[in-house]
Amino acid sequence: MCQVATDMKKVLARKHEKFFERHLQLLPSSHQGHDVNRMAIVFYSMVGLSILDVDVPAKYNYHLDWIRKHYIKKTLDDKNSTVISGFVGSLVMDIPHATTVNIANTLFALLSLIMLKDYEYFESILDRESLSRFVSRCQLPTRGSFVSCLDYNTNSASPVDSDDLRFCYIAVAILYICGCRSTEEFDRYIDTRKLIEYIMAQRCCGGAFGAHNEPHAGYTSCALSTLALLSSLAELSDKFREDTITWLLHRQVSCHGCMQLEDDSNTTYDQSDDGGFQGRENKYADTCYAFWCLNSLQLLTKDWKLLCQTERTKNYLLDRTQNTLTGGFSKNDEDDADLYHSCLGNAALALIEGKFNGELCIPQETFDDFCKTCHC
Amino acid sequence: MEEYDYSDITPLPIQTDVQDELCRIMYTEEYKQLMGLTRALISMNELSPRALQLTSQVIHVAPAFYTIWNYRFNIVRHMMAESDDTTSYLNKELDWLDEVTLNNPKNYQIWSYRQSLLKLHPSPTLKRELPVLKLMIDDDSKNYHVWSYRKWCCLFFNDFQHELAYTTDLIQSDIYNNSAWTHRMFYWVNAKDVASEVELADEFQFIMDKIQLVPQNISSWTYLRGFQEFTHDTIQQDEKVVQFATSFTADVLSLPIGSPQDLPGIESSYALEFLANHWSADPASRDSAVKAYNLLAIKYDPIRKNLWQHKINILS
Repeated sequence: MCQVATDMKKVLARKHEKFFERHLQLLPSSHQGHDVNRMAIVFYSMVGLSILDVDVPAKYNYHLDWIRKHYIKKTLDDKNSTVISGFVGSLVMDIPHATTVNIANTLFALLSLIMLKDYEYFESILDRESLSRFVSRCQLPTRGSFVSCLDYNTNSASPVDSDDLRFCYIAVAILYICGCRSTEEFDRYIDTRKLIEYIMAQRCCGGAFGAHNEPHAGYTSCALSTLALLSSLAELSDKFREDTITWLLHRQVSCHGCMQLEDDSNTTYDQSDDGGFQGRENKYADTCYAFWCLNSLQLLTKDWKLLCQTERTKNYLLDRTQNTLTGGFSKNDEDDADLYHSCLGNAALALIEGKFNGELCIPQETFDDFCKTCHC
Repeated sequence: MEEYDYSDITPLPIQTDVQDELCRIMYTEEYKQLMGLTRALISMNELSPRALQLTSQVIHVAPAFYTIWNYRFNIVRHMMAESDDTTSYLNKELDWLDEVTLNNPKNYQIWSYRQSLLKLHPSPTLKRELPVLKLMIDDDSKNYHVWSYRKWCCLFFNDFQHELAYTTDLIQSDIYNNSAWTHRMFYWVNAKDVASEVELADEFQFIMDKIQLVPQNISSWTYLRGFQEFTHDTIQQDEKVVQFATSFTADVLSLPIGSPQDLPGIESSYALEFLANHWSADPASRDSAVKAYNLLAIKYDPIRKNLWQHKINILS
């Protein structure tokens, strides 16, 4: 690479870094709506910084106690005095006498602590048994799927929360981090068979996964990551795998061949999206779907980089949705950069470079180091 | 809006000025007061009209606050039991929810909350749900949560009578609306045990008319494939469909594969892919399939050239 291009790359990397750092500092009151899920902001920012090779443990070590405070352990008022534990997304949610822990924030917190290399926490503070018990209670016995939290008062699965593939994925990822690997280990806490049946029922007839037969790249990534963590990808038939690979590759938007014919009449087609990925048929490309689609592909076939045009995806991300002024990525070329798309834009690039663990959504090296040290 | 007195409540204030805090939010005074009060009421699990009123305020400011929906539901359940008329009490709650829904199109908690209310309702109706569904889909015709909810309603009420006409209208106004197409498939799969041959033949005609109108549209071609699979045991349209698909490919399959610039333009890469897929199934027509995939790779859909090559490798 020539000197000018290398310098430019450094300048941009620094801008991305600053973009993520800003989100960990002071946020305007317009973020109050996200207060209850603040752990998501921590997670997305730290993933971004870790990808950019920032020394996250050194830089944010001071904040460990604050994150640890979000871990709540509770003895239930039942005949066995059951203990459950999990994380809240914000200290605002730490409400006496109410169970407010949530599996999404729990996963975000655990992964953030892994990125911070707070291994002492995993070895001597975190109570994996009661945490897994909390996850267990989020499973709906008849459907096999998961909700994200418990009724604050009765401690059974929330009566008003939705159940979908996202929460199935999150539940399984938490158990995986807690050390579950074999079906027998997962079965100690959840009904794995029933969960797999639920996931299989979300298959769509032309490949991929989604609710009621409308395939969706985000849900597909959740379904495949869950099956991968359960070592159960073999449940999928060869035909379904092939259909899903085909469906995923069709999500790459192109401005060549017959695709140009759509330019005049399809209001959700844009030639400049070439190389990017869409989440569903006939939608604009969007930064985050580069990650969801590529992660799904890499789980289905080791030849994924030979099958799709990752160079074009890189160009789409770097030239179209990257914000070269503020750092970060936006959803498309119109909006301002936002944290979620910035995290997943960087994650997609890291995945293409082979440096990212897509199932858990953190850098591979970070996870390997955690496994080696914590023997999980 | 009724004014309630909360002066007897000792708030549980949220902590501010925590030294090692990350992502510190500059709270407004209103937010701090509202949360202080809410935390206190949840902690006591007070199930009262004033608590209900407070949850409205919190949902307005922070609809992602998952516990607040749970809390509201418990209040509603409790007060419903105490009211003389459960139906009208729950209808009032649904009215309130309609307003919140219109203001929060991307929030997903709303829909599961709605489902919980309908399950609680002594006499829920689909009629009550249709207007808000229509408004939401008019506003964003591909909103995944709204479509999922619509499908849930169809199954919950076991009522599919509006669906076919509804998707016809939506496809009429935007033929590329993939949600409308997949919803149409959902209709066929779930609406009835058996559809008549006439109905199925009419539907084939509907699809072909739509493809004729816009041949380069992945949604209608995917639907055609799905519908063919769905009707396979009842009605055989394969020959007709193959002829139909061929009509969009400018006889390119009868030409020698030369260099891409010598090949004519065609109306639809999806038609060619459809044919390739169809021919792949029968060893006698595999050469045609290979040719079609080759054409896609070199000219008609080159971004997926490695996929098309992969399909050829599977065949040989």
